[in-house]
This record gives sequence, C-alpha cells and structure tokens, in this order.
Amino acid sequence: MNGLLTDAIFWVFAIGSVITAFRVFRTDSMMRAAFYLLASFAGVGGILVLLGAEFLGMVLILMMAGEMLIMAIVMVMFMMNPAGLNPMWMVHQHRIAVAAGLVSFFALASVPFLVDFPDRPALRPEEATAELGTELLGDSMLVFQTAGVALLSTMVGAIAIANRNGRFGEAEDGSQEPAAEPGTESRP
Amino acid sequence: MRDYASPGVAILVVGSALLAGVYAVAVIDRMIGVLVAGQGPSWGRLLAEPVRSSAVLALQQRRTTERPDAPGWALAPALFAGLAAVALALVPLSRDLVAADPATGFVVFSAAIAMVMIAVYLHGWSPNSAFALHGAYRYGAQALSFQMPFLLAMLATALPAQSLSIVDIVNAQESLWNVVRQPAGLPLYLVVGVAVSFWGPLNLADGADLAGGTSVEDSGLARLLWAAARAAMLVAIAAMGASVFLGGWWGPWLPGAAWVIVKTTALLIVLIASGHLLARVRIQQFVLISWVLLIPLALLNVFVSGALLL
Repeated sequence: MNGLLTDAIFWVFAIGSVITAFRVFRTDSMMRAAFYLLASFAGVGGILVLLGAEFLGMVLILMMAGEMLIMAIVMVMFMMNPAGLNPMWMVHQHRIAVAAGLVSFFALASVPFLVDFPDRPALRPEEATAELGTELLGDSMLVFQTAGVALLSTMVGAIAIANRNGRFGEAEDGSQEPAAEPGTESRP
Repeated sequence: MRDYASPGVAILVVGSALLAGVYAVAVIDRMIGVLVAGQGPSWGRLLAEPVRSSAVLALQQRRTTERPDAPGWALAPALFAGLAAVALALVPLSRDLVAADPATGFVVFSAAIAMVMIAVYLHGWSPNSAFALHGAYRYGAQALSFQMPFLLAMLATALPAQSLSIVDIVNAQESLWNVVRQPAGLPLYLVVGVAVSFWGPLNLADGADLAGGTSVEDSGLARLLWAAARAAMLVAIAAMGASVFLGGWWGPWLPGAAWVIVKTTALLIVLIASGHLLARVRIQQFVLISWVLLIPLALLNVFVSGALLL
C-alpha cells in the first residue's frame, strides 16, 4: 500500500475514534453510548492493523463486538430501561471527572515528547502472530490454555444449571414457587 | 509478505461475487420451495422472480416510525452487507486468486461474524418498535450462544494447517479434506452458519412469530437491502465452509475456481433447504443446545484434532 493512502486511512481511523469516543459521553442513551464506544474501539483496532499488529487489531474488534452487546444488554436489564432509549446523563461527579480526564490526557499526550524512542527500523516479521504468542505467554502457554478451557467448562456448567430456571422448574411450564405449607395453594 | 489484490480489483470481484451469490440464493430458495410444495418448476418464472420482487421493493413507498434512530437504522443493512463482503473477500478461488489473504484470516472472519450481532441488534433497536426490539434481543441471546461453537469448529481446521491464513488452511487439505479429518466440524459449522444469518429453523430474530422481527418496520429499499445482506452473509458462510472443510479449490478435472463454486453451491442448497424442511427452534432450546451440546462437542473436536497432530 502506498504511503499517502495509508496516511489517509490512519487519519480517518484516528479522528473517527476521537470523535466517537467524545460522543460516548455526550449522548443521552446507553445503547448509543455502547455503539459509539464500539466504533471508537474499532478505529483503534484499525490503527493496530496499520501498525502491523494484525492479530491484536482484529482480536480487539472481535472481543469488543461481543463485549459491547453483553454490556448493553446487562446495562439495560439493570437499569429497567427497555430499549436504552430513556434520556439519561452519561457522566457523573463532573469536577472529579473533568480533573481525572485532563490529568490522564496530558500524562498520555506528554509521553511522545518525553520518551526517547529507539530509532531502529524493525523488519516486518513473517510470523507476527506466533512471535506475539511466544512473547506474551512463553513457557506458560499450556497453563493458560488449561485455565481457559477450565473457565469455559465452568461457564457451560453454570449455564446448564441456570437454564433449568432455577429451583421452580422450566419457565415454559410456568415456573412456580412451591407452597410454603404442604397441601396449600402456591402463589402464582 | 502475503498477497492482497489492488483495491479496485478486489471491490469489483467481491462485489460481483456478492451480487451473483444473492441472486443464486433467491433462485435456490424459490426452487426448493417449489419442489417441496410438489409443483413442477417453471424456469422462466424462477429466474425472473428475484428481479421482479426486488423491483417491487425498490419502487415501494418508504414508511417510518415514531422517533426512530435514523442513522442507526440506515447503517444496519450497510454494516451487515459490508461484513458479508469482508468475509467473502477472504475466500480463495484458487491458490493465487484471492482478494485478501491476511496471515490472520481466521481472526478477521471471526471478527466479521462477531460484528454481525451488532448489525442485527442495531437493526432491531433503531426503529423504536416493540417487535423489532424483541427480535434484536433474541438475536443477542442466539449470537452469544453460537459464537463459541462457531469459533471452535473453525479453529480446529487451523490446527492441521498450523496457520490462521485461509489459503494455508485450504492448502493443507490437498491429501485429505477437513470434512473427513474432523467429521464433527462441518455439521457444527452448518448448524451455526444457519444461526449466524438467522435462516430457516434458526430465523428467530426476523421470524414470522414476531411479524418479521427486526425487519418488521422496514419497507421499500431498506427491506430489500436487509434481505440482500442476509443472503450475502449466507453466501459468505457457505463459501468459507467450502474452503475450510471441503478442500476449497482441490478437486480433479475442473479448474480450482469451478470447484469452489460447485462446493459453495452445494453447501448453499443444504443451508437453504433447512428453511423448507425443518421447523423453527425456540430460542430457549437453541441456547441450551448451544451451551450444553455444541460447545462441548466443538471442544472435543479441537482436542481430538490436536491430539492427532501430536
């Protein structure tokens, strides 16, 4: 890909990410905030791909898509707001939030000016994904894989138990609480 | 460094493949419907029907709802169709003929499938309508359940190739196709593929029991685009299944590209026939089956494939 096109794509992703990230806090609906946040992350994922970290970029988009949906559904469930459309403020504790935002922005923005980056052009690795895996996990690969499978099995077990609709039978059969006293009517 | 077609060529090839695929889905769907109903097919009508109904939809008046999220509503079909294009761009027609062959092809495909749930949710949420929102939540439950078996079923095919690139995965099937090597893989992939594009027995998001679900409020061009995007996703799933399980371009006599088209069509017929031959599954059943049966089966598939390689 030629340099100009790469630059143009970079700026689209970069500016798009910043604008959508800003919109997360300016919108008045939880669902819209979740969609904006996802768009912002997708832009960051695109920039990672441009940097040659294909795997990280695509995994970021993959994970964020699932995460935003789960987050949105759980948020809406807890907030008793059926479609996430009721207007609400997306920011709280304004003074602290503004201070924390400014401090972290300037801290992060000062990094490129304060750090002396090495000036060694690196070759684009042939097997970037394999190298990344070795770099991150090294000898503990098997341990992490085993832990991952154990976690997944736990989730499957939890779902299998939870799907029975708890203690009172199947939801489709009209899951009913048993009567407190034997022989009396149960509450519907 | 891996191969990418130049942007112009890629857009042309993927775009025409998508259009041809969507048309093929419409024709096959109607043909199976006619056969199942026991009527003799009339070719002229079969081939003209998709064009006719598209024209009717395109010229139909658009209607809207009260206070919809207009940008989201307009974006959803475009996002869905774009994801189908991304998925299809990864499918190699032959060893040298592929729109994009990133080293992480499998991850790109998975990311596209994961984003489908955002497109469908957005489509159901944005019209501000109760049945559409119901459909969106159903797809949310469905998507969170099929994501895992889908990734695992496809991940197993990356093991013999020792690579996440789709071209490498097809290349590794020269002597033995993955459908033989991993017998559980293709059935798992097809069940989940029907769920991804919510077709036939797993059409819970847009089902008739919700008066059309997420697309209940769509009309005119928007309805046409949504239907086309769904069909395009089905094509992408069939094409990817043909590549990672049925050996892609490998096959005697015919050139590679012809084999890819033949295999994709065969899988499309299986996927579409499910809509005419099987009853719709309830969402609760599907979630239970997914987590309790499909995920363990997919895990077992990965373990066995991995053990065979050691």
